[in-house]
Amino acid sequence: MEQTTIFLRGRIDSNNAASVERDVFDQLASKENTAVILDMKDLEYISSAGLRTILRLKKSYPDLRITNVGTEIYDILDMTGFTEMMPVEKAYRVVSVEGCEEIGRGANGTIYRIDQDNVVKVYNNADALADIQHEREVAKLALILGIPTAISYDVVKVGESYGSVFELLNARTFSTILATEPERIDWCVKEYVELLKKIHSTLVPTGKLPDMKETVLSWARFMQDYLPKEAGEKLLALLEAVPHDDHMIHGDYHTKNVELQNDEVLLIDMDTLAIGNPIFELASMYNSFQGYSEFNHETIKQFQGFDYETGTAFWKKSLAAYLETNCETKIREVEDKARIIGYTRMIRRSIRRHGLETPDGRAEIELWKERLLGLLEKTETLVFSKNELEIEASTDRLAEVQAFIEERLEAVDCPPKAQMQIGVAAEEIFVNIAHYAYAPQKGCATVRVEVLEDPVSVVITFIDHGIPYDPLEKEDPDINLPAQQRQIGGLGIFMTKQLMDDVAYEYKDGQNILTLKKNL
Amino acid sequence: MSYPKIDLHIHTVVSDGTDAPQELLGKIKEAGIGFFSVTDHDAIKCSALIPPLLEAGDPAFLPGVEFSCKDGEGKYHILGYGYDPAAQSIRDAVDYGHALRMKKVKKRLEFLKTQYGFEFPKEALERLLSLDNPGKPHIANLMVEYGYCENKEQGISEYLNKVRITGPSYLRPEEAIRAILGAGGIPVLAHPFYGDGDQLILGDEMEKRLQRLSEFGLRGVEAFYSGFTVRLIRQMLAFAERFGFYVTAGSDYHGKNKMIQLGDTGLEEEPELPDGLKHFLEDVKDCTR
Repeated sequence: MEQTTIFLRGRIDSNNAASVERDVFDQLASKENTAVILDMKDLEYISSAGLRTILRLKKSYPDLRITNVGTEIYDILDMTGFTEMMPVEKAYRVVSVEGCEEIGRGANGTIYRIDQDNVVKVYNNADALADIQHEREVAKLALILGIPTAISYDVVKVGESYGSVFELLNARTFSTILATEPERIDWCVKEYVELLKKIHSTLVPTGKLPDMKETVLSWARFMQDYLPKEAGEKLLALLEAVPHDDHMIHGDYHTKNVELQNDEVLLIDMDTLAIGNPIFELASMYNSFQGYSEFNHETIKQFQGFDYETGTAFWKKSLAAYLETNCETKIREVEDKARIIGYTRMIRRSIRRHGLETPDGRAEIELWKERLLGLLEKTETLVFSKNELEIEASTDRLAEVQAFIEERLEAVDCPPKAQMQIGVAAEEIFVNIAHYAYAPQKGCATVRVEVLEDPVSVVITFIDHGIPYDPLEKEDPDINLPAQQRQIGGLGIFMTKQLMDDVAYEYKDGQNILTLKKNL
Repeated sequence: MSYPKIDLHIHTVVSDGTDAPQELLGKIKEAGIGFFSVTDHDAIKCSALIPPLLEAGDPAFLPGVEFSCKDGEGKYHILGYGYDPAAQSIRDAVDYGHALRMKKVKKRLEFLKTQYGFEFPKEALERLLSLDNPGKPHIANLMVEYGYCENKEQGISEYLNKVRITGPSYLRPEEAIRAILGAGGIPVLAHPFYGDGDQLILGDEMEKRLQRLSEFGLRGVEAFYSGFTVRLIRQMLAFAERFGFYVTAGSDYHGKNKMIQLGDTGLEEEPELPDGLKHFLEDVKDCTR
């Protein structure tokens, strides 16, 4: 359809509304079928008489659009509902970021400080108005849900792109703090993890944010062409099995997106906000501190301003604090799950950015791919829980299983005697799984530690995907027989039954599930 | 329940419209309007002129009026419906309103004469003063006619708006409300968000205004108006519900003087009549002709 732009200037009030209206209709008289655009760049004032003129114009030209509207007139159009009736585009202030300090960089844009009190986020996408609107909305949602964040108050034009302006006083990113005051690492970890936990415990009303699982599944589908068939299918299956989660995740939670403003810790760069399982968040965190710099350890300096060693230390400490454990095995288990998603994301991203076209790019992708394939082989689930450990079912790993159980028991002040008895029973069960569940192949076992109340008791659950086997079916050995006549084996299970208050077995969904219960 | 097409805010030649009563009636029927009111500025002549013109099966007519009011807080247009045209209180208010208008017209003519030397022939002045409702637009038209300015808008903004009127020049809102109530009518605030037509009163300011007028005895608001967006209509309906006001619907049709269609009130898009409007229609049933 043809377009006709009409410029409105100065004031439109009851004195001249009628003549302005006649003039506008005169300009349109020869045009039957046209889309009318009202350019309000030079309009200073509009009264109700002027609004009525626009309303009548809208009735005659349903495709009416308004552009270049100044802030004051925009407010009037907004309050009176004109912005709901027709497209109304604001006039944007022009801001230059030349010579401005870059203080943040995210997936969709770069943040610059434009003066002491204000920063501008410049979007990579030239047609970013929808992105800006989205980010504003999710930031508002986050604030309503209790997440401290900055909300943009203005949209500006920066060169060919758009930017949104935030008030950010005296703020320093955690990256800057880590780079300039490395002795504050433990304080940074504490604040960073506290905010992370707050985000992950925030329930989001249905439909307000995208589901991260969908996004990650699309990455995995992309990867099918680049992975051996079996590995590709396993990756998809692992992701499919991640349960739906309505809790919030930030999506780009690294130290440049966490700011310290006066004494308040603020989250910025909200456009990646989503819902989903926390493993998706940990994957993106892993990439920020480790993944992107695995091939070239210098990479992290460009992004974060601190070195690879600092990044590694910060990541390990943060993960430990997040999982509330010092158990190395536990930390590695969750890290490995995160890495599977992390590598998937980085490989896809690099391929899409022509990573396969340079020798370094190819070498980097190869490194990530090799590690991804190794992890896929030994992982049965991407889900993790503070109280669960997924570990290779092998007698070599027994000490780690015991250390994990011990740490959980100590956390609940389990008496030493019960601790020892649980230790003995757990050893029996885990060794059993290690020997028989997957033989002659290898597989994984999951160990879960739960504390129940009333009466206070500990429940340890062992899960494996091996051949169905109920150890409790075995008849108890006759311990009154002389040693030579006793059966070999079976004694361990017998002892376990004696030491525990309850032992139960179930075979469900292809899993052997054995639970030990000990009253405290 | 089906309801007739409604327009309760219409002007004729008795004030600043361009249609004579008979002409208007033809257009009302043509537009399919089943219930209407004529609300000339500070004039109730049509409440006597229109009923004799009506025949069986014609649209129902409700006597109306629109008073221009002003006080220290601002300007208002207050509609009155269903009053007894013979009642003394409404006749006094119309006479007082007319006298104030005449005073202003004379001041303005005097100002044009002394400040700029603009003079008009006697016949032209008589014609002007014999109008029921002369105002700035009529004087500006004369100025154009006699070559003192290019167009009506210039006449108003460059000359007539410079006249300072001292002493009372408008009815106060409480006077208009009292006069309407005294004649058994219902006082309703016209185009509430637009003040006397050219302001924009929103939010808290609107609320305060309604609160004051409600204390004076205001009974309703014109929530449906040709110049309102859906959003404004929604806001006014919410106000009406909160204050317990009647709701009315009007276009402010002025014939050729304004580009407003008869019956354009925003009510057409409404799936169901709001309660405030239903109550209004029920309560004025006995006042219609």
